[in-house]
Amino acid sequence: MLSQPDMAALLITLRLAATTTLILLLLGTPLAWWLATTRSRARSAIEAVIALPLVLPPTVLGFYLLLAFSPDGPIGATTAALSLPSMAFSFWGLVLGSAIYSLPFVVQPLQNSFASLGRMPLEVAATLGAGPLDRFISVVLPLSKMGYLTAAVLGFAHTLGEFGVVLMIGGNIPGETQVLSIAIYDHVEALEYSQAHWLAAGLLLCSFLVLLMIYSANRRFHLMKTT
Amino acid sequence: MIEAALQLNKPDFCLTTNFSVPGRGVTAVFGPSGCGKTTLLRAIAGLEPDTKGSLTVNAQQWLGPQGCKAVEERRVGVVFQNPSLFPHLTVEENLLYGRNRLRKARESVEIKHLIDSLELEKLLPRYPEGLSGGEKQRVALGRALLAEPKLLLMDEPLSALDQSSREKLMSLLEKFLQQIDIPVLYVTHSSEEVARLADNLVLLAAGRVLDHGPIQDVLGAVDGELSRSDTAFSVIEGQIASAQLPDLITVDCGQDIVLQLPDSTSMSDIRYQPGSEVRLRIRARDVSLCLEQPQRSSILNILPAVIAELAAEPYNGSRVVKLDIAGKQLLSKISEYSVQQLDLRVGKSVFAQVKSAALI
Repeated sequence: MLSQPDMAALLITLRLAATTTLILLLLGTPLAWWLATTRSRARSAIEAVIALPLVLPPTVLGFYLLLAFSPDGPIGATTAALSLPSMAFSFWGLVLGSAIYSLPFVVQPLQNSFASLGRMPLEVAATLGAGPLDRFISVVLPLSKMGYLTAAVLGFAHTLGEFGVVLMIGGNIPGETQVLSIAIYDHVEALEYSQAHWLAAGLLLCSFLVLLMIYSANRRFHLMKTT
Repeated sequence: MIEAALQLNKPDFCLTTNFSVPGRGVTAVFGPSGCGKTTLLRAIAGLEPDTKGSLTVNAQQWLGPQGCKAVEERRVGVVFQNPSLFPHLTVEENLLYGRNRLRKARESVEIKHLIDSLELEKLLPRYPEGLSGGEKQRVALGRALLAEPKLLLMDEPLSALDQSSREKLMSLLEKFLQQIDIPVLYVTHSSEEVARLADNLVLLAAGRVLDHGPIQDVLGAVDGELSRSDTAFSVIEGQIASAQLPDLITVDCGQDIVLQLPDSTSMSDIRYQPGSEVRLRIRARDVSLCLEQPQRSSILNILPAVIAELAAEPYNGSRVVKLDIAGKQLLSKISEYSVQQLDLRVGKSVFAQVKSAALI
């Protein structure tokens, strides 16, 4: 079964994915709302930037993050000035990298979900005396449940499978920054196929179950809507 | 009193209005599709942020030099063409959405009364999904009113309904809108809805107000835009008479004016019981004039009349004539040729033949 370091890698991976997802949902909500409602010309540019991780090799992203984390880079200089530990090869460095890497997977479902609401429900709520924040909480959030579920699951699952970014900025410190995908790589390198299997098959099954969950929830939701 | 001097420029459309209507009763905003009725309503509600000008509703300034009141501060009830109930809330929660946001809400007795008069009691625990169009629209109306608005705006609330739900909701609105004590602006392109529901009329075309005022004044203006249009009509009020002839409905309009209509509706309908108040809509083009009383005509309604007013000049070859029939006004649209042939002038006595009238 799972060895001690494998278990640690699993726990780090879950913690990383959960933290990243939570942060992305919090930051992604205003961002997606802005994208869904703005008429600003900057929108296309921002959308393109957010979608970049979909097309870039993760090593490119990791490379630039690593440069930014270095003592001369913008992030490294800031952390040093605030006398915080360096982000490179640390858990919080991984969180930042994963957040950028998984951003489109959270922002896009939220943005689609907000856009599909249309302006009608919000206008109705406004005429009934609800202010902007009230409208968001009482109308937008409950009507965007599916969007949030999809965003959370995709963000989580995508962070689970991350490899290139982590390798570039997190290194491979067991118990600290070693995540599942890297542990699998190590096992394969060391020809420990049975241990690699445990982790790989576990990840495969887990990813499938998560996706199955979204799609069946989506289906139920649509059935409910049409009846 | 509602005073609206509004200016709104959109890429493909420009709205310029300047009108005032009484602060009570139902004012219909009437005009063809695409003339800016909905935009006007949205501007009044505060949903068009680029609106300039001034708007005062019963002494409260909603838009003016001091700035623009936010939609949620205006206390304006809106019933949209599409009912737009919140799908994640039950009917009861929908109804209370606005009321829960009031600082000081009305007595619960009045809520009960409203729910009863809109026949919503049975729907309360249900979700909007399963409701019919008419039911949804009644919930939307109740929801708007429970928020205790200072002004109620209705944007073609019947247009998305099928014929029988329209008929039902219209009868309900007829009774209901007269009881509420706030002004109602009712957008429609149906002359039937105007005739049945409105006390005042704002006539709109291509983003401009052509005429506004009490309904009889706007309808009766022989040189007005409405009279020139094909839809020119008059409204006459009356009561269903007790004595009925076979296959006919007889309406007693007072002053010995009696109009008869083919009985195309079933008499079981509550509105057509003897004694019930009705309005008749008579199209100007369905009224023709004779100098002598015609004998043995298939036209049932021949009424002695005096010409009260003639349009100043013909429009598209015909002219609108306003008749006085024992104090009631009736428009007739006849060809300019006939006006000359019969030498029609103000004060002349004629007989009006009413070819058809609609009980509305």
